[in-house]
Amino acid sequence: MSDLAALVVQQSLNGVYLGCLYVMVALGLTLIYGVLNQINFAHADFVTVGAFTAFFAATRFATKVLGLPDAAGYLLSIIAATGMGAVLGLAINAAVFAPLRERGDELRPLIATIGVSVLLENAQLALFGPIPYQFDSPFARETIRIGRVFFSAQSLLVVLISAASIGALYAFLRFTFLGKALRAVAQDRETAGLMGINQGLLIGLTIVIASALAGMAGALLGPVLVLSPFAGASVIVKAFAIVIIGGFGNMQGTIIAGILVGIIEAFTVQYLGSGLIDLVVFVLLLAMLVVRPTGLIAERKEENV
Amino acid sequence: MKFASKLALGCAIAVASFVSVAQDRVVRIGVAMPISGPGSYFGVMDKEGIELALEQLKSGVNGYKLQVQYEDSACSPLQATNAVKRMLDQFKPHIVIGEECSDASLAIAPILNDAKVVQLNVGSVTMKLTESGYKYTFRIFPNAEQQSAPLVKVARGVLKAQTAVILHEKTNAGNDNAEGFKKPFEAQGGKVLADIDFGRDVNDFTAIATRIASLGKVDVLPTFALEGQQVRLAQALAQAKIVKGGGGNAVQIGSIWLPYGFDQKAGEAAQGYVRIVQFDPSEKRKVVQDFVKAFKAKYGQDKVPTHINAHAYDAILLIAEAVRRGAHDSESIRDAFSKFKDVEVTTGRITFDAKGQTSDLSVVHFVQTQPDLSWKALSWQ
Repeated sequence: MSDLAALVVQQSLNGVYLGCLYVMVALGLTLIYGVLNQINFAHADFVTVGAFTAFFAATRFATKVLGLPDAAGYLLSIIAATGMGAVLGLAINAAVFAPLRERGDELRPLIATIGVSVLLENAQLALFGPIPYQFDSPFARETIRIGRVFFSAQSLLVVLISAASIGALYAFLRFTFLGKALRAVAQDRETAGLMGINQGLLIGLTIVIASALAGMAGALLGPVLVLSPFAGASVIVKAFAIVIIGGFGNMQGTIIAGILVGIIEAFTVQYLGSGLIDLVVFVLLLAMLVVRPTGLIAERKEENV
Repeated sequence: MKFASKLALGCAIAVASFVSVAQDRVVRIGVAMPISGPGSYFGVMDKEGIELALEQLKSGVNGYKLQVQYEDSACSPLQATNAVKRMLDQFKPHIVIGEECSDASLAIAPILNDAKVVQLNVGSVTMKLTESGYKYTFRIFPNAEQQSAPLVKVARGVLKAQTAVILHEKTNAGNDNAEGFKKPFEAQGGKVLADIDFGRDVNDFTAIATRIASLGKVDVLPTFALEGQQVRLAQALAQAKIVKGGGGNAVQIGSIWLPYGFDQKAGEAAQGYVRIVQFDPSEKRKVVQDFVKAFKAKYGQDKVPTHINAHAYDAILLIAEAVRRGAHDSESIRDAFSKFKDVEVTTGRITFDAKGQTSDLSVVHFVQTQPDLSWKALSWQ
């Protein structure tokens, strides 16, 4: 393989890995928007909660209490973070979002997401303090080398888990009764209600799934992020950009946009400079808004989620 | 009766005067530090250092109490500006310690100088802070030039480096440190293959490591970023087999930014990392060992103080020294600071130059991360 070819393959792999991390964060955002037409400003904090849950599950519980090896401990921590995300989503929906939705106000639930964000951030600050934690995945220590191309076992794990999660979510939405009902609510909430579908339950389910995805994303991002109560904030702006580029509420668009942004970032670092990453991504975002405001995948409400 | 009234009145006046004098005999110290946001770990460590020093000085200095008020400046120019304005308005400090981040420190410097209140900086790097002609600004943290110059000396003189890739965060501090390395390194015949900057929101450094690997033979990688990013960067460079910690040949070299404990966080990727330190908890000077002992007694035996703890602790010691020499307000503190000569604190012997910058770097020395992740102090200066 020539130098240039090896470099292109390497940066493409780096980009796909980074893109998968972004997709995992952005999927929950787009799912909530697709069903509720609502932006969740607390999503970054669910990611951070997931990262902290994974950290404590892996470093304190799995290895020290259960005596599991590091690798098994980390895998278990991903499940714990996903579960914690789901439970937190369920609790916050029941305590905050559902009562506000019942009042029929569109604005209050949106503002409530900001309140939840501040609450979660400060609760984590009080619990864990501001000094960054060091969360190392045992998979990050293993480097796989094929010729001149390398990647860590962690990046392979991230790609595999992302693919599996996307596949599972797709299958759930396409082939299960609940998934079909959820799509019906996304298409037309009122008509779905007239057909006997319990909107409140399905909206709650959407928030739980999105929060679980955020928790899982936190577990995968934990070993990448500088883990502090503000960790999620560093990826959420990019995730919002991806959701807009992909087409707000459109899952396929979000996946394509996430991978695309990851690859663009990797090649921007190589040829333009890492200091220009945000510039390039947000120029792309603005170009999309001007040229194709519906996003990469044209918005067809019935096809979303 | 008349006499008794007069006596009572006289006593009342005397008590009131005494109370008034007692209340006045206070030196008010404002502290503008990041308590929220990603830089809040600075604030936590600063507060630990300050609280320890205040505890040791609780009986007062020269008849004066040291009174401290903390404000959250969040490493942000806007929040720091608001915090300092609020402090000036309500607390009326004689001196303000802060900020840690260069951008925020630069934002508050003109405000404090206009108000003729001393600014004592303990953690910012940017040259502009003491190069802008502020008469009330003092700094005990080595500036970008003071930190970068020894790195160039070692890179060229000891490591015999011909090529370098500079890595730095895109801030006033990072830019100044990078510039401070680049110019003299090139002037001495070295070649900078790339000057790579990045935002504080960058988490994954694999693409940057890949780019560096494609640049050919790199001898040294001067790196200027906060600890969290440095850990990830070192790990990515090791994974790409660029640095010694990953089996490569390049040596990562760094500045005082990195606190004690970085090596354990970065793991084997940090092996061979060479950097300068201003505060070394293993240093034999009595003031250092007393500080380490007191710090552990207060915060736990397993807790080793970092340079951030030490700088904040020193700030209070320096103010106390000024008060001991008769200072009691902003003007007299400024005058006392200007006359300081080799005042010994944990991070060195403080003598401010005409611009308010600490000028004695005799305690700054190099350390190298060993295979067991401990420090080895090197004699390079």
